[in-house]
Amino acid sequence: MSETLNHQEQPVLGRERSSLQHYLRRSRRFLLIGLPLAFLVIWTSVPILWAFMASLKEPLEIYESNTFFPRSPSLEAYQTVLAIDGFGKWIFNSVLVTVVATIVPLILSILAAYGFARYFFRFRHILLLLYLVPRIIPRVSLIVPLNDLMSNLGLINTYWVLYITYIASAVPLSTWILVGFFKSVPKEIEESATIDGANMWNRLRYVILPIAWPGVVTAAVLCIREGWNEFAFVLALVTETGMRTLPYALYTLRDSMGVQNFAVYNAFTILTVLPLLIVYLLLERRVVESIVTGAVK
Amino acid sequence: MNNSYVEFRELQKSFGSTSVLHGINLQIEEGSFVVLVGPSGCGKSTLLRMTAGLEPINSGQISIADRVVNRVPPKDRGIAMVFQSYALYPHMSVADNLSFSLKMNKSPLDRIAEAVKGAASILQLSTLLQRLPGQLSGGQRQRVAMGRALVREPAVFLFDEPLSNLDAKLRVEMRAEIKALHQRLSATTIYVTHDQIEAMTMADKVVVMNDGRIEQVGAPLEIYDRPENLFVAEFLGSPSMNLLPGKVVFGDGTAAVELENGVLLPLPNKGDLQSDQKIIYGIRPEHIALADDENGLAITLTLVEPAGWETHLHADLAGVTLRFLSVDRVNARPGDPAHLAIDTRQLHLFDPETGRRI
Repeated sequence: MSETLNHQEQPVLGRERSSLQHYLRRSRRFLLIGLPLAFLVIWTSVPILWAFMASLKEPLEIYESNTFFPRSPSLEAYQTVLAIDGFGKWIFNSVLVTVVATIVPLILSILAAYGFARYFFRFRHILLLLYLVPRIIPRVSLIVPLNDLMSNLGLINTYWVLYITYIASAVPLSTWILVGFFKSVPKEIEESATIDGANMWNRLRYVILPIAWPGVVTAAVLCIREGWNEFAFVLALVTETGMRTLPYALYTLRDSMGVQNFAVYNAFTILTVLPLLIVYLLLERRVVESIVTGAVK
Repeated sequence: MNNSYVEFRELQKSFGSTSVLHGINLQIEEGSFVVLVGPSGCGKSTLLRMTAGLEPINSGQISIADRVVNRVPPKDRGIAMVFQSYALYPHMSVADNLSFSLKMNKSPLDRIAEAVKGAASILQLSTLLQRLPGQLSGGQRQRVAMGRALVREPAVFLFDEPLSNLDAKLRVEMRAEIKALHQRLSATTIYVTHDQIEAMTMADKVVVMNDGRIEQVGAPLEIYDRPENLFVAEFLGSPSMNLLPGKVVFGDGTAAVELENGVLLPLPNKGDLQSDQKIIYGIRPEHIALADDENGLAITLTLVEPAGWETHLHADLAGVTLRFLSVDRVNARPGDPAHLAIDTRQLHLFDPETGRRI
């Protein structure tokens, strides 16, 4: 009789225990993963949201209250920014320099990374480490010698000075990222392509690059971010107003406006950040798509 | 001009200071199915990769269809290779995987379509052509890998442990499929495996390798029945052969081997043996049987492993462990005493010094 009772009780107890364990597991997961993630999202998005809200406020409203939402939202600040003399040229400069500083480093680093990942040659590891040197040296310490060099070459205030410095700064980063991705492509797949008659270019084009595509996109995103946000070099190597990029123009906005207008500053900031955000969102989806469809499996 | 289609002559290979192949000589006839078998690290995969052109040759010569291919690039050797990991292009559909080599060689589109259709129908892939490799089962991926080799219409198929990643049941099925494919195409095939069952069941000719050398070449049963040395004797067969060191003793017109523990094991005749000659007495587990009478060797059973269609048994023979098989159901339990009969017609005798068959 007692045995029968025990048999009936056990499943109920087991169910309760398992639901408790499930609850505990979920709570622990929330504490360890959910909470830090939520904090991170707030930490990164609040300043942007704050700037966006501030950009919609009246010029003097920002001094009067500390509220998050604007009293009567207006796009006046954006109109002011778009009317600034040279704003279109700065956007053009930023886009041009970023495009060049993304495509050229990607091409160079795809070739370099393929060599580092697949060919065994003397001093390979040391060379790869030397690639990092430009990233290790503080950028500020390069400014004076670079300015000197570029002045002697007569390149100050030209696009070339930005191309050269931006490309040189982006190549090491993207090469390092791509070496890792290329190495993760199984060697047998490439050997199989070799037997199938693909030469080195075809292997890279039809096999390696499509498989390591998320890596290429990751490197591209970082190159775009580096190029778009770069400030130190453009500050040191460009003096003409017409050659400025958006971050530099934003920096000089305060001096050029005369009157403090935080709504305009914030509108300028939002307009500077927006293109980058759009690129991020578009490319991020592509990376996820290629992972989901099994390109990296 | 000789009979061989693929020939290795004094082939040597080393990685840095480590020598992995020490002068391989082998001739493979056209249309034959040759299996290279041996333990991990014996150099069998390296030999296959050298045949494919994926590893450079240090010295020696490889020829395919009477043409030395040492410096010929892989695509021009007339070979196709199936890898252990399948090495399918993960971003391409099955159809694109199958047609990749033809596209690379700039074949006409109608020829590509025909070849893909043909391979897909032989390997039952017709309904899967638009799928990505990630959406296929292990067996289907294996078939795609074979199909990719098939469309190239190679002179020689190379298989590098192609069934290692499959589960036991699928492995048996694919083994039969590969064998059937070979019978259908009659293409020369070199197949690398460490699985002796695959070697025995699939090969026309088995090449047993060890430590960068060929130990023995021959038909599967020929090697099984007459292993040339201790390594081959021990490597082929599961459970492996009993190898018992002892010395020859002659009695009253009879001959026997006295083991180190003093037990006498029967020999069929004196042959060329000398008295007191040191010897290794080899007997396969299936050639030892439980004896009904008490004239056999007295042993104690130590392990009984029923495998369904046969029973694997371990016995203690005065301190020496003997492995044997019984196809009859065995009701005995470990610890039970029993008697064994040895089929002396099936003995293998080896020289302990050289390891060679006597």
